[in-house]
Amino acid sequence: MDNQNVSQNVDVELKDNVLLKVDHLCQYFGPTKAVDDVSFEIHKGEVFGMVGESGCGKTTTGRSIIKLYDITSGSVYFKGVRVCAGTGSYKQAIKDAKAAYNEKVKTASEDEKKRLKEELDRTVAEQKKLIKEAQYDQKNCDKEYVEKLTAAVKEKYEPLLAGASAEEKKKLSAEYRNELRKAKNSKVITQIQMIFQDPIASLDPRMTVRDTIAEGLVIRGERDPKVINEKVYEMLDLVGLVPEHASRYPHEFSGGQRQRIGVARAIVMRPDLVIADEPVSALDVSIQAQVINLLNDLRDKFGLTLLFIAHDLSVVKYFSDRIGVMYFGKMVEMAPSDELFLNPLHPYTRSLLSAIPLPDPISEKQRKRITYNPLAEHDYSVDKPSFREIKPGHFVMCNEAEYQKYMSVLK
Amino acid sequence: MINMENKLHVSDLRISFHTTNGKVQAVRGISFDLEKGETLAIVGESGSGKSVTSKAILGILAGNSIIEGGEIIYDGKDLLKISEEDFHKIRGDKIAMIFQDPMSSLNPIVKIGRQLTEAMILKGKARQRESRRNFNSYLKELNTSMKEAAKAAGRSDDAKIDDLCKRFETFEKKHIELETAYNTAHEAAEDAVDGIDSITLELEKNAAKDMDYRLKQIVTEAKTSVQTYVVRDKAERLNELTDGLLQEAKALKKEGNFAKTVERLTELKGILEEAAAKEKPDFFAMGYWLTYEKEPLPDVPVEELNKRLYDRVSEGFMKEFASYASAGIAFAEKKSAEAKREAIKVLKEELPLYQAEGQLDKHACKASLDKLTEAVNKTIDPLLTVKDSLAYTFSSGLKSEIDTYFKGIVQNVKELKKHDKLQKKYDAQMAKGKDPGWKVPAASVTDLELTKQNMAHLITRLSDHFEEALQNDAGADADARTETAVEYLKTNASGIVNKVTKKTARLRAIKLMEEVGIAEPRRRYNQYPFEFSGGMRQRIVIAIALAADPDILICDEPTTALDVTIQAQILELINKLKEERHLSVIFITHDLGVVANMADRIAVMYAGKIVEYGTSEDIFYNSRHPYTWALLGSMPDLDTNERLEAIPGTPPNMIYPPKGDAFAPRNKYSLKIDFEKQPPMFKISDTHYAATWLLHPDAPKVEPPKAVTERIRRMQKKREAGQNG
Repeated sequence: MDNQNVSQNVDVELKDNVLLKVDHLCQYFGPTKAVDDVSFEIHKGEVFGMVGESGCGKTTTGRSIIKLYDITSGSVYFKGVRVCAGTGSYKQAIKDAKAAYNEKVKTASEDEKKRLKEELDRTVAEQKKLIKEAQYDQKNCDKEYVEKLTAAVKEKYEPLLAGASAEEKKKLSAEYRNELRKAKNSKVITQIQMIFQDPIASLDPRMTVRDTIAEGLVIRGERDPKVINEKVYEMLDLVGLVPEHASRYPHEFSGGQRQRIGVARAIVMRPDLVIADEPVSALDVSIQAQVINLLNDLRDKFGLTLLFIAHDLSVVKYFSDRIGVMYFGKMVEMAPSDELFLNPLHPYTRSLLSAIPLPDPISEKQRKRITYNPLAEHDYSVDKPSFREIKPGHFVMCNEAEYQKYMSVLK
Repeated sequence: MINMENKLHVSDLRISFHTTNGKVQAVRGISFDLEKGETLAIVGESGSGKSVTSKAILGILAGNSIIEGGEIIYDGKDLLKISEEDFHKIRGDKIAMIFQDPMSSLNPIVKIGRQLTEAMILKGKARQRESRRNFNSYLKELNTSMKEAAKAAGRSDDAKIDDLCKRFETFEKKHIELETAYNTAHEAAEDAVDGIDSITLELEKNAAKDMDYRLKQIVTEAKTSVQTYVVRDKAERLNELTDGLLQEAKALKKEGNFAKTVERLTELKGILEEAAAKEKPDFFAMGYWLTYEKEPLPDVPVEELNKRLYDRVSEGFMKEFASYASAGIAFAEKKSAEAKREAIKVLKEELPLYQAEGQLDKHACKASLDKLTEAVNKTIDPLLTVKDSLAYTFSSGLKSEIDTYFKGIVQNVKELKKHDKLQKKYDAQMAKGKDPGWKVPAASVTDLELTKQNMAHLITRLSDHFEEALQNDAGADADARTETAVEYLKTNASGIVNKVTKKTARLRAIKLMEEVGIAEPRRRYNQYPFEFSGGMRQRIVIAIALAADPDILICDEPTTALDVTIQAQILELINKLKEERHLSVIFITHDLGVVANMADRIAVMYAGKIVEYGTSEDIFYNSRHPYTWALLGSMPDLDTNERLEAIPGTPPNMIYPPKGDAFAPRNKYSLKIDFEKQPPMFKISDTHYAATWLLHPDAPKVEPPKAVTERIRRMQKKREAGQNG
């Protein structure tokens, strides 16, 4: 299992323990702003919950992080490496600068014109450089990682090879080549894995459970069937299935069991970050509890970091350390989960919390739902809102007037 | 005894499915009642039989299903026994369903508008036909009965009665004609007011979307409302206001200031509102006046007019008609009562035949069935507007039981033979020391004794019912019944005239879309399902279910795929519609959390049986069945910190239903007897029942799990804190 460690975990020093940093992420589909300027960080070992109604962009955020889409602008840093980079904001900056120049140049004197032109050229050159960098990072984010991995493998095997006898050397060099190939095939993004919402649609009906779980390993270059089987069985055991299940097909399982297969498929890659996109929404209540308990156990065991996307607030509250609330592509509030439920500030968060059904008939009959109407709640015509920290760790999307109001509420 | 308020009565329903591996017993004898305006939640895991139950009520079970027994009584009919033709009149119309998956329950290649109006138009035609039939047949029965009554009293008024009925029919049609015109105009006025309301504000802010179209709509509506008794006196002014409205608005558009248009609209609104608030004239009496009185209508305010009209019709025609009608109704009732006495005699005579020991005789049974059918059919009073359900379904019920019985005699022999053969094969394999790898499925034999008991039960129940009815009906009020009869005729007559055209269907569809909270319904009307989000699609499905104005709404996991805000909206919507339309709702879900507010009563199902049944308070505060505890304990709430109590294992395979309590293997409180014998329903209070041996007096005392009791305590504390603070 030593080999495993080499090819898996080149531990990067994490700054402030930040595993994932999403920085001004935008994802536009044509005119639709699915995700609009979202920033957050996920620390190592924590569960970050993301809630919001359907269509608010929480799934898109998850998918953008794992590079299923090419993001429009912004960056995603994973372990300090920029894995996603968009160019939209730079292009916009160039456009803006040109427009401003055209506007100013109409009234300016000759000298002024020259100065403005220089200024414009400088800005454009700057932004173009940034675009190039972004494009490079987007394409070659794995390069650095692969280099590090190969270096680690070389470091491990070269002294071993030097000091080995002829017979050992043959065996070792085969192993060395194998490891080197795996290292070269690695991608930093495979350390982020995803658990999908629908346990039926996310499993290929023509692949056995073994194939499904082993697929990632095979793609990464693992060719030894013994190792593959061993890992598959280990995973099955971990998620509460038995080795006999490995040769069966997805349709032979119940919904809860299928979701366990989905979990096993993600965990087998020993990821540092798991994006769980509504992993329990499609399951029966009793099965939900089983899967949540399983995720909790795995978290304790591997020290997993999770981005937990769900719409069931009771589950998110139970499971997450910090929660981000999204509304129409924007993150409107972010806080530690107890803090969020104790002091919800943004009106949307409050409306969301008021919609949670309570398992108690009398309270439920008294429950008043707050509706959220952005037009009535906010006046952003003059003062534009931004994402501000109200209390350590508690961020709200608000403008200056609202900021003052929220501060007074907290006191 | 069936309560009048009961909308639906399900008793001892048993359903199985034929599969290649054997017979899956999906529903194993469940009973419940659904009252008018009540929500019953059926809660259970997938595979517990809750969806199968709802599908049985709607008559859309899969082809391999077998209904083993029981009855579902709706409106006097046993839904398990009526023909497919009869079901067409009920399905979607009286009982509607909201399906779980909005993705697959909408047709992807048909526009939303078409899908919404399709059923409306079809049902509208069918309803018109049915109303006509009802009206004609009832009037005919009444006519016959009146004549008979007159004859019995020694008079011969045939010609007079015929004339009365004829006259009633003629002016009733006139009445409906007038009323329909009035209703259209009245609705148009209301719609125009709504339209003005919504557009004025937008015009003031110069932010009106598709203004031309909407203004045009308002103008059309306002013009439609110009009808006698709606906007009559101010018709001229209204025309003036509407005529130049559109052109003016178009001209003003360039300036961006709509003050003039708004002014016009406000005045228009005032006129329409005043008109809409006016009292409704008595069109029934007016119809009579216009048909038979030779003078024109007096030109007086509506209140005064109503009074005069009413006096005329009740003094003249109606008095005579009603006296004959009430005589006829009383006569029919007397006849029915006599027939009932006779029928009780016959029922009692025939009963021993079915209670006899040993096998029944086929010919004797058939003869007795004919005799009973004749006697019971005579008891049916054709002038009763609310049908006597037991008498109606008696003969078909008895017939099907008899058929099952004699079919079973033949089938049982075959089945047993088949089973013996398999068993022998199995034994032979076992004797060789091999594991056959399969089990012998239980022989699916009909329980002949049970069928016999069912027949006897049907007969005794009906005779008891008749006896009770005879005692109660002794002092029935003939006048009140006459009134109901006239009302019945009136409703059916309006059913004949109320026509659903494509245009009206469209208007209604758009109104429904608004009602379920879809913004810009006019634009959305012409879109395809893929252009809607999940929540919106689910709303469309709800709107379709409501389009036919059903009595009973079955919601099969309507919010499982939706997020909290939409879920809350949909639940509130269903609750609101339930209040407004006095709907009875059956709400099927696996999530106890969502039903706390929705449900009046909750039935918890496991492995095809109801394991606990009670009001929502009973279930949440005082649950007794370990399965209910497990369900309550396995869901986190906002204050849950400890590990969740998941239910271990999976539900049993219902091809081999367990001998004892089906939940026993997953139950940490199970007793020894749970594995051996099925627990009966123990009564906890008048509304609360549970099937667990833990409630037996000899059972050890068991406290509910901490997660459940803690939550109740916590919630109570929170509530108190909320009240004090």
